[in-house]
Amino acid sequence: MNSVKKLGSLALPVFVFFAYFFMYIPIIVLVMFSFNSGNTNFWEGFSLQWYHELFKSVEIIESLKNSLIVAFSAVALSLVMGLFFVFYGSKKFVERGLFFFYGSLAAPEIVLAVGLISFFSFFSVPLGLTTLIAVHTVVGMSYMTPMLYSGYKSIDKNLSEASFDLGATRGQTFIKVILPILYPAIMTSSLLVFIVSLDDFILSFFCAGASTVTLPMYIFSVIRSGATPVVNALSTLLLLATSFIVLIFVSLRARTKLF
Amino acid sequence: MKNTGFKTAALRERHIFASMPALLWQIVFFYVPLFFILVVSVLKRLEYSIFDNLTVQHYKALFDPAYYKIISRSLLLAFSNSILCFAIAYPIAYFLVFRIKHLKSLMIFLLVLPFWANFLVQVYAWFFVLERGGFLNSALLGLGIISEPLHMLNTPFAIYIVMLFCYLPFMIMPIYSSLEGINKSLYEASSDLGASSWQTLFRITLPLSSSGIRTGFFLVFIPSFGEFIVPTLLGGGKQMFVGSLISYFFIETRSIFLGAAFTCVSGFMLLVAIALLTVFLRLVFGRDRA
Repeated sequence: MNSVKKLGSLALPVFVFFAYFFMYIPIIVLVMFSFNSGNTNFWEGFSLQWYHELFKSVEIIESLKNSLIVAFSAVALSLVMGLFFVFYGSKKFVERGLFFFYGSLAAPEIVLAVGLISFFSFFSVPLGLTTLIAVHTVVGMSYMTPMLYSGYKSIDKNLSEASFDLGATRGQTFIKVILPILYPAIMTSSLLVFIVSLDDFILSFFCAGASTVTLPMYIFSVIRSGATPVVNALSTLLLLATSFIVLIFVSLRARTKLF
Repeated sequence: MKNTGFKTAALRERHIFASMPALLWQIVFFYVPLFFILVVSVLKRLEYSIFDNLTVQHYKALFDPAYYKIISRSLLLAFSNSILCFAIAYPIAYFLVFRIKHLKSLMIFLLVLPFWANFLVQVYAWFFVLERGGFLNSALLGLGIISEPLHMLNTPFAIYIVMLFCYLPFMIMPIYSSLEGINKSLYEASSDLGASSWQTLFRITLPLSSSGIRTGFFLVFIPSFGEFIVPTLLGGGKQMFVGSLISYFFIETRSIFLGAAFTCVSGFMLLVAIALLTVFLRLVFGRDRA
């Protein structure tokens, strides 16, 4: 009886171990093969050749550039508009308005993509970086605005009152009082939006047009046409960058909740 | 003091326009386009005129069992993926909340990481596990469970297993936070009153985490329904799903009218499915108590 119970209490940890194992084994194998010297999926020895090729590839550099332009613009636009929305709107306006930002999170991404392509083709808007930035900003704001608002809400209102009493204008209060206090919320939400934008495939696939390629679009086309080990190296670097950003994110939010 | 309130209100009033761009952006680039799916689906040509330009022909063209087979296949995928994710996620979340102390933050970090990692990279990584000479086949051969490598890529099995692991964090997170919120003294009360651990699980833990379960189900169900990447890359494009058919309409054949009509029909089906899922969850896990 006792040993049965012991076995039972082991079942859960073993289960969790296997779940984590299967969550990580694909990634571990992928990273391992990015250092493979051959171009087959059999281990042939350690080499960095795929990383060398990676930096020689014009397509990759070009698509990375596009991805970064889109991601930085989406972060900047959603940050500025999000901050203005949260700070200048009345409480009632902001709390009711927040509801509208959840829409694009609730709908499947492909529906959003279809809507935009219908909209853009109806008005014959040429697809490209501009449309991509517009779209990524929509998604970015959906993540950012609620995060900014929850940060803003927790700021002691007496601080801005004090600032007004001391003769600061609303703009001065915004820059000298609110922004510094809101700094962690700004950083975490910007990182999140940056990652989401860098990651996005579906929206870009639909709204980028034929000539603009972002990094995920490049990866997709290569995987589809039979991947080369360069993608392994690229994926490894992306994973590394992601882990680094998550570490910053977690350390910024160490004292608050994770989600 | 009254003065200050007055001043703040006045300042607020003057700048209300500054808070508008965010909402406008959302309306112009999300709500209006959503409406345009409907508009485009009933047009004959991409023109501004309404007269002589409206049609239901695209919807008529969709009266083909093949399309409904695709929608039901996607619904099945979304539903089974949610159930599978729940079955794996709940024990994990339970373990993280109640069973460990030391490595907790590391384990949560490891859980969040794939959530942030590039989705394509995650899907791609599974090729190394599922291919003929891949990890799974080597492991199973090595253990003597199978004698010949299994064919796993480009099968429904590949789609299901990869969907399961890619969406798992979306189910674990909300369940984890709802379990964290349960008042621990309830467990003492439960054991004091003589309940077995299974009784405690079914009468306290599960009902009190039902709001997290509900959130998890929707976070998995909705994107799984429109999933495009996994079936396209790992299913070998053999079986069409809603996401792959939509992208086929828009990207490959450029038939945006038919694509828009199909999106409307499947969107409607998704809404019906969400309503049914809500009822299902209420029957199984009880009402929302949070």
